[in-house]
Amino acid sequence: MLAEIGLASLALALALALYAVAACLIGARGTGPGWLPSGRNAALLTFPALLLSAGALTLALLSEQYQLAYVYSVTDPQTPALYRFTALWGSQRGSLLFWSLLMSGFACAAIALNWRPQSRLMPYAIPAMMATLAFFLGLSLFVENPFERWWVLPDLPADRQVASTALIPPGAIAPSEANLRAGAEGLNPLLRHFGMVIHPPMLYLGFVGFTIPFAFAVAALAAGDLSSHWLQATRRWSLIAWIFLSLGLLLGGRWAYDVLGWGGYWGWDPVENAAFLPWLVGTAFIHSAMIQEKRGMLKLWNMALVIATFSAVMFGTFATRSGVIESVHSFARSQVGFPMLGFWALMTLVALALLSWRWRRGELRDERPFLNILSRESLFVLNNVIFIALFCAIFWGSFGLPITSELLLGKEVTIGPETFEFYVAPLFAAMYLLMGVAPLSAWGASSLRSLGRSILAPLAVTGLCVLLIMLSGAGLAVALLGYGTALFAGTVALFEIGRGARARNRSLGESMPRALLSLFRRNQRRYGGYIVHLGVTLIGIGVVGSTVFQTERQHSLARGESVQVREYRLRYDDFILARASDGRRLHIAAVTVLRHGGEVARLRPRIDEYPQMPMTIAGAHSTLENDFYVLLISGDSERATFRIYINPLVNLVWWGGVVLALGTAIAVYPKVTPEPRERKREAKPA
Amino acid sequence: MSELSWEKPKHPEKPKRGPSLKFAGAGLVIALALFALIAAGTLRGARYFISVDELLNDPSYQGRTLRIAGAVDGESIEYDSERAIIRFEIVHIPAAYDDLAQALREALLDPLASRLQVIAEDAALPDLLRHEAQAIVTGALSGDRVFHASELLLKCPSRFEESVAPEGLSQIPEHE
Repeated sequence: MLAEIGLASLALALALALYAVAACLIGARGTGPGWLPSGRNAALLTFPALLLSAGALTLALLSEQYQLAYVYSVTDPQTPALYRFTALWGSQRGSLLFWSLLMSGFACAAIALNWRPQSRLMPYAIPAMMATLAFFLGLSLFVENPFERWWVLPDLPADRQVASTALIPPGAIAPSEANLRAGAEGLNPLLRHFGMVIHPPMLYLGFVGFTIPFAFAVAALAAGDLSSHWLQATRRWSLIAWIFLSLGLLLGGRWAYDVLGWGGYWGWDPVENAAFLPWLVGTAFIHSAMIQEKRGMLKLWNMALVIATFSAVMFGTFATRSGVIESVHSFARSQVGFPMLGFWALMTLVALALLSWRWRRGELRDERPFLNILSRESLFVLNNVIFIALFCAIFWGSFGLPITSELLLGKEVTIGPETFEFYVAPLFAAMYLLMGVAPLSAWGASSLRSLGRSILAPLAVTGLCVLLIMLSGAGLAVALLGYGTALFAGTVALFEIGRGARARNRSLGESMPRALLSLFRRNQRRYGGYIVHLGVTLIGIGVVGSTVFQTERQHSLARGESVQVREYRLRYDDFILARASDGRRLHIAAVTVLRHGGEVARLRPRIDEYPQMPMTIAGAHSTLENDFYVLLISGDSERATFRIYINPLVNLVWWGGVVLALGTAIAVYPKVTPEPRERKREAKPA
Repeated sequence: MSELSWEKPKHPEKPKRGPSLKFAGAGLVIALALFALIAAGTLRGARYFISVDELLNDPSYQGRTLRIAGAVDGESIEYDSERAIIRFEIVHIPAAYDDLAQALREALLDPLASRLQVIAEDAALPDLLRHEAQAIVTGALSGDRVFHASELLLKCPSRFEESVAPEGLSQIPEHE
């Protein structure tokens, strides 16, 4: 019954989305006043329809309905309830449905909030959003249907007697419940991790979120409203999408760090890079959108960036799900690849055609020219160029070079992580430098002298910090350069926050804590942005520390024996064999970590033996200074082999993510209008 | 006689570069720098991604840094945990296939398929190194026809694996 409900509501959602596209486009032509509201209502109804469909699949997962091929492939009777629930996005079919549900939720919220304020754009924005949704629903219904069930077809030859279909074939009988339960495959052990529970939804939210700015940009091009209305309508959506994408990437890194047991969090694999590419263009767009809003410049560039972001999202989805890109993430060669490639090309071409049409008509000209190369807008453009350069370098290494070489040489040529690091290190250094310099320059024009004066104090503080780092023993030039550029960006953000608070303190007599609070309340976007910069600074310092100064050792120890690794000593105490409630065998080593003779942690690195594969679970002693990360390679009660990593500053990467999220939340939070009395007080001359 | 006079112009006109020219110049410099960076990195780090057959049949590949993909023969896996050395064999898989799992299985069943001995030093034993996994190794072939891997990647079982018809499901059908 659940399969029928899910299937019917999925088909209904597709029909509603297609109707919404048609009705809104008819309404846009002014054929009748009723078409547009009717299209809007259909679009809004896709969400409850998809909620019902996804709800039916979730219920099937929770109630162990193994006749559904999807439930059979991602759960088994031992799967805990949490992982049954998250199995909704644990494989291609369910995740496509989940993606559609999120897309519909975002679209409905955007339609409901912008229906009146952006009435001119809605006749085109709704079709753009609904066309994207309809495409994914079509894939879900016709190519990767999550409601297919196993059937036994006794009349067919033995090798074709079992088939999974959405509709019941003639003469089919349901397989035995006992056989289904016995054969159910269960969720991949690697995915049983908190990071993987929330990493895909975060990434999907980021991906689908960028569809909203794209839809409004296309609507602005189609409707001819090329003012900054579309940017204002979508600014918050872009930031929300950006933070979800950022957190999705960080959580993916955290999962790799905890689960894959190689002591790292980013391997420059094409599938990882495919998710990073939209982040780079999206970040460029978030910065350049500010220039259009404030100065009426970069209209063409912003349109191009938002189209590129959506295009990168679609390409990333294609690369991730099609299996055509050679990657360590083994994604099955699914049928969704070519339809997705076609949809990606179609949407990008339509958007570019509209852009070119408006450009040729002279409707995307900037309201004022760039006058000074040191002005804030020029430096923002330079920052955009760096992001695009990073995009080009990573795209080239991940996709451009392998595809081009295959076409031209008949052999695939690839590059490894060390080459990606060679590409991105100078570009990230430039990005951090610009993150520091750009906020100090003025809009319109800025002289070298005035910019130099503003930079002096943060630069001096940065220099002092670098000197202290050097004296502490981390004297490697490349690391000092990395720390220096990241610290410079963070110092400028702190200086700017301090300067703003001091100005309020002097002119309005506010206490410093109150001045800080008012500062963030009155200009959330700017100061939220500085907090984001602080988060990015922490991430940068963490990446430099954990990449350049990582220590990796392997030692075999007899019970009671210990080994010194840098300032730590690891002692092997005991070996325990156990069995978990879900049936897996656990091989646990009990170890003690000592530092300068004192005990700092007792860890339990272990190997979990699942029926499908063994899984190494690290033991980690985490501080802000470093992670002592130990893996059990093999062992018994007499002797065990450990692989030990010391990853300096790695936790700053994760804490930087928290600060980043906090800053974005401040920037996105609805603006608080000051009380009338306060406004009057602020209006008084100092 | 007329008096000759010469007047110095008050503001000598210097040819002034407009901001757009400066921006174009800066853009060109950045584009060239990016091109140089990408070209230098590619020349330095590019390596062919070839099959086991191609490696073993072409002596010119010997000693060069390459990337090879093959099916892992589980019985050949040896791990020296004292010295952190992994030894295993990979078997040639064809470049084109529809189903990776099936291609790996068939490759390992083929007695005539080319096999390559791989050694990875100072490496932790990956959980995913097992029979019928796909290994992607980066390194170089030495004179003794052993591939010394500096990087070992294994395709993890996917979240997106297709549901294959389960064996034994039709054995005791429930007649309803």
